[in-house]
Amino acid sequence: MIIQMAWRNIWRNKVRSIVIMASIALGLVAGLFILGLYEGILKSRLKTVIEEEVSHLQIHNPSFKMDYEAVYSINQVNDLTQKIFSLGNIKALSVRSIAQGMLATSTGSSGVQINGVYPDHENQVSQLNKKIKEGDGFTAGKRNQILIGRKLADKVKLSVGNKLVLTFTDKEFTIVSAAFRVAGIYQTDNAPLDERNVYVQADDLNRLLVLEDECHEIAILLDNDQALDTVEQQLKAAYPDLLIENWKQVSPETQLMIETTDTYSIIFIVIIMLALMFGIINTMLMAVLERTREIGMLVALGMNKLRLFVLVLWETILLTLAGAPFGFLVAWMIIRYYGKTGIDISSFAGEAMSGFGFSSLFYPEFPWTKLLTVLYIVCCTALVASLFPSYKALRLVPVEAMRQ
Amino acid sequence: MDTIIDAHHITKTYNPKTIPVVAVNDVHLHLERGEFTALVGPSGSGKTTLLNLIGGLDKPDTGNIIIHGTDITKLSANQLIDFRLRNIGFVFQAFNLIPVLSARENVELIMQLQGVSRNEINQRVQVLFRQIGMEDKINTRPSQLSGGQQQRVAVARALASRPQVVLADEPTANLDSKSAGNLLDIMAKLNQEENMTFIFSTHDQRVIERARRVITLVDGKIVTDTAQVDTSPAVHG
Repeated sequence: MIIQMAWRNIWRNKVRSIVIMASIALGLVAGLFILGLYEGILKSRLKTVIEEEVSHLQIHNPSFKMDYEAVYSINQVNDLTQKIFSLGNIKALSVRSIAQGMLATSTGSSGVQINGVYPDHENQVSQLNKKIKEGDGFTAGKRNQILIGRKLADKVKLSVGNKLVLTFTDKEFTIVSAAFRVAGIYQTDNAPLDERNVYVQADDLNRLLVLEDECHEIAILLDNDQALDTVEQQLKAAYPDLLIENWKQVSPETQLMIETTDTYSIIFIVIIMLALMFGIINTMLMAVLERTREIGMLVALGMNKLRLFVLVLWETILLTLAGAPFGFLVAWMIIRYYGKTGIDISSFAGEAMSGFGFSSLFYPEFPWTKLLTVLYIVCCTALVASLFPSYKALRLVPVEAMRQ
Repeated sequence: MDTIIDAHHITKTYNPKTIPVVAVNDVHLHLERGEFTALVGPSGSGKTTLLNLIGGLDKPDTGNIIIHGTDITKLSANQLIDFRLRNIGFVFQAFNLIPVLSARENVELIMQLQGVSRNEINQRVQVLFRQIGMEDKINTRPSQLSGGQQQRVAVARALASRPQVVLADEPTANLDSKSAGNLLDIMAKLNQEENMTFIFSTHDQRVIERARRVITLVDGKIVTDTAQVDTSPAVHG
């Protein structure tokens, strides 16, 4: 009956209760929308990281990543890739030769990472062809073609068809230079990467690096994210001499960003609920003080302090939770709408977002995985908010309370 | 005879450090089970204070109040709450029903607090509402009841826990003559049927006439304590 009483007590002052419920609902809408936005941004970023940048797994010679020298290559690549495919769960893989070098034109120069790729494979792994904004990209049979990023093109004033010179050291530590012609300009959401990476065909780069059936990096894209641990373990067991890394190890900043954003978003909800808590306390305090006489009477009749506390606690919890479903529902509807249409901030923050590797078009996703946490925070808010009104109720002396 | 209330040397002073007001002054009181007693006296004579002291709502400065063998002046605040729940029924002048609960729920609440089983609660509620003649209003909220009906529900609530003593503070003060008469009939009937002890504080002559014992207080002291015969028409039903 105490819960029943608590629920009915809430509706004694409908307007006041509805106002506080609406504020809780609005607070939750704001909080959940931010969570949804973060969720969408992070998932989008993660998708980009895996499907366009680092893939699920990467294989290197353990020494290669220390100083990126061409000599630290992976051998017998053809045999190795066939064996990797036979493991299953492999959607695509790209074999890459990599050299750190200098790109020079008549108008400027820039340090770059030269990625030698097999276009068909690379397109499957990182969708390189879809990123090309100008030019036709690699043409079969044509030698010494290069794809450069938009940011780099702007920096060294290059356009499609222009020539440039790449200088780097080969496997035997000899400095080599070669002229390449720009076959395309690509652009991703990650401007720093666009400035740093250029792509040439693996055959061209291998010839210059003096590599035979060798490469420096194998990027593996899996059929699904769930297969990551299995394939990683299989690879580590099969190739203990190679460095096998998953995307979290290759791109620790992405993993860190996911973890910290989760924390920030929860802190955001906590701050919203803290602000709302004072509204709840105020409402409950008024509700208790208005019923001083009634509470005094209940104690006179024999309602002990624990039951009185539970009554006020239930009133607070129900008042708080009554607004929550509306908050969840409205947030879900708004997020669902924007999840389909997207939120485009390119007009005022596109460049800034690109600078951090983010797309400026977000598709928020309802944060189902954090719903329990949010509910827990709401319950905690109600619990804390009930303490002061309960304390005031418990302090009432029945005789004095009934005189009012 | 079965002693229900035995109070000795009860004194209660308000504002002892500023302007002391002696509300109850060295009162001795002895009541047997089943008494139907009226506390009368002018305003400020200490009737309500004495009822509050007997009901354990307030503590005397001196003296002991023993109710059914328990000295309630020795009980802690929490023990007093439990004691009141199990031994004292209250009827207040302003009815004091809980507005969000129906008549039935108001009566059930006390029994639920006592931990009485659902079956027993249902049976007791049926009996009580039959006794107060309000079976047809059992699910009605207090706001939809007349003053007299509300006070009858308050009586049913006071009796629900089968208390040793029912304390009624000016129970007829807010009622018209007919409602007051009905209420007194009901309380007299319940007093006889359930052999419960009733103490009223009252100014109402109708109540005084129905009481079998009248205690008069003046300035916190008992000045007269007389037994009398109920002269009202016999209660039927």
